[in-house]
Amino acid sequence: MKHLELLEHTDTVNELLARYGVKFGIYKNNVFKEQLFPFDAIPRIIEAEEYAYLERGLKQRVVALNAFLKDIYSKKQIVKDGVIPEDFIFASSGYMAECEGATPPKGIYSHISGIDLVKGKDDIWYILEDNLRVPSGASYPMIARELCRRASPETFKDLKIEDNRDYAKLLRRTFDNVNVGGHTVILTPGRYNAAYFEHSYLAEQTGAHLVNGSELVVKDDKLYFIAADGKLERVGAVYRRISDEYLDPMNFNPESLIGIPHIYDVFKKGNVALLNAPGNGVADDKGIYYFVPKMIKYYLGEEPILSNAPTYLPFYEDDMKYVLENFDNLVLKDVAEAGGYGVVFGNKMTKEQKESFVTLLKSEPRRFIAQEVIDFQDLDILEDGAPIPRKADLRAFVLTADEPLVWKSGLTRFSRNPDSFIVNSSQGGGFKDTWVLSR
Amino acid sequence: MKKLHFTYEMQIEYSTEVSTCNFTIKCIPVDTLRQKIEDIKITLQPDVGYQWGKDGFNNTQIWGANFKPHTFFRYEIDGFATTELSNCEEDIDENLAMVFAHPHGLNVAGKAIRDFYIEKIKDINACTFDKATQIMKLLSQSFEYRTGSTQIDTYAEEAFEQGCGVCQDYAHILISLLHLAGIPARYVTGFIIGEGVSHAWVEFLDDNKWYGIDPANNKLVNDEYIKIGHGRDARDCMINRGIMHGGGLHTQSVNVRVKDTEKGL
Repeated sequence: MKHLELLEHTDTVNELLARYGVKFGIYKNNVFKEQLFPFDAIPRIIEAEEYAYLERGLKQRVVALNAFLKDIYSKKQIVKDGVIPEDFIFASSGYMAECEGATPPKGIYSHISGIDLVKGKDDIWYILEDNLRVPSGASYPMIARELCRRASPETFKDLKIEDNRDYAKLLRRTFDNVNVGGHTVILTPGRYNAAYFEHSYLAEQTGAHLVNGSELVVKDDKLYFIAADGKLERVGAVYRRISDEYLDPMNFNPESLIGIPHIYDVFKKGNVALLNAPGNGVADDKGIYYFVPKMIKYYLGEEPILSNAPTYLPFYEDDMKYVLENFDNLVLKDVAEAGGYGVVFGNKMTKEQKESFVTLLKSEPRRFIAQEVIDFQDLDILEDGAPIPRKADLRAFVLTADEPLVWKSGLTRFSRNPDSFIVNSSQGGGFKDTWVLSR
Repeated sequence: MKKLHFTYEMQIEYSTEVSTCNFTIKCIPVDTLRQKIEDIKITLQPDVGYQWGKDGFNNTQIWGANFKPHTFFRYEIDGFATTELSNCEEDIDENLAMVFAHPHGLNVAGKAIRDFYIEKIKDINACTFDKATQIMKLLSQSFEYRTGSTQIDTYAEEAFEQGCGVCQDYAHILISLLHLAGIPARYVTGFIIGEGVSHAWVEFLDDNKWYGIDPANNKLVNDEYIKIGHGRDARDCMINRGIMHGGGLHTQSVNVRVKDTEKGL
């Protein structure tokens, strides 16, 4: 283990991370709290060959998801052909009728996709969920790598690890591919956002301007950046880190104060690229997840390379029967929730809880999915200097530029609670760097 | 068939200066199988110019902004419509038809509407067209028109529970009931002959054709109706949308005039 030397520098790296402001903001009981995102120095290591397999599977998945989004907001062939029931599209909160008939530059909807995977004890990788709206997290392993290299250069001297600091280059290539002429900006809701560190770091690394809504204006049918001297400079691409509903008060939530009035109208005219395109929520909700392997077959005519966790839709009668019979072995998820909320384990419920849940399930079957609990592999983390095993997942980043690109790294999140399978950072977990070996 | 002259006027006055205002106006009737629109004139005061666009349902809209301080905004849309060239509208975008088959926003049914459906409608045995008109009739018997009894964002269920509302509420409840009956239906905004404000009614899909019915008046749409646009509910069809900085108190007035050119009313 050549990287052992690095472990001695854990505290140094965490101190540096804190100094750089690598924090995660969360709301708890309506109070905004910033907490450090604890870094664990033991990396997740993935062999070159294994990662090459993941790459093929991830590309395939994201290509199919993009094809799906394009189809849903135009011809809806996959629904007409009966592959996905209408209910899962048009009654989904992620479907946005406002996006009908608008084609994003080059037809790309999900430029930056965060795909969450886990590796089972059976050595099989399973997809847990797709994040196609504003997935965050790439900046953490980027800066952690940078600081680790600084703290312990010897560790990296002989190891053949893919350099993950090229994420900025991949991102830039993704911006440039769709920029319709003018600046690229990163739009942030401001410093109280959970991922503000990431917004500023990615701006610095890619050379894009970091802006908030009040620094952008629509004039005639174009989008402009208001420069310090008051001059207007054309914007051709916006990597927006605010959600669809707050993006444009004239087209979406009228209450939004952080959006830019008419930006969506400019987008519809083809005069600016928005990354990611609005409307992607229809493709990444937990209900639609079940259908992604079917999408891959439908659009690409290929067998899915990566598997979903075995999932049941109580919406289908057979699945409902299975779910009721195997309730204790399953994890149930509310399709409308995210960030580890709305997730319950059948075997952790009391008798009363179970009864009331089953009643709810029967009255709103479309609202839930059920999954087999995957016994995923533990990764060691350091606690008081000693390694202990904890559950961990991997968020892989797939960028869609002139071709799909998979970043050779990723965010490994772990649960600090030994009994928990939930690794989301909003639930207090930590992170690791992900080392992909180059040979 | 009639040739109608229509004018839509909107005026908004502010008690203090507005520094910036953004607006989107969705009030421009377009050609359909049912109606032909001619000589559309759009006048904005102050004349700040505008852009043309389409919303997700293919309705025409104009939008723009006024960055100069101002204390009022006025616009007028004037034109001629030849109506009832057909009794239905062809489903030109079959891709969107399924969007109108699902409950959404203000037209989602609750217990009161569901119970009404089960009690009065579920067992009706008729073709789609007759079923839709019968549902409209049943609704008009159990719901009362009362100005000011609801808000612009009142849900179908709330209005139905209280038993009264305006054309918008009639439309939402009817859409809700039609959906329960498995009939795709959409919310329509437009003008009717006479003087007043804009109107709302419903179109339902039967054999790839959209038919207009007016639940507030319990009748089929005829040559006295000019359609502006459609959506899933009133929120999709807001005629005026605006955001301003400053302005203090607003006083808004809308005036719609629709005259039969033959009668010189």
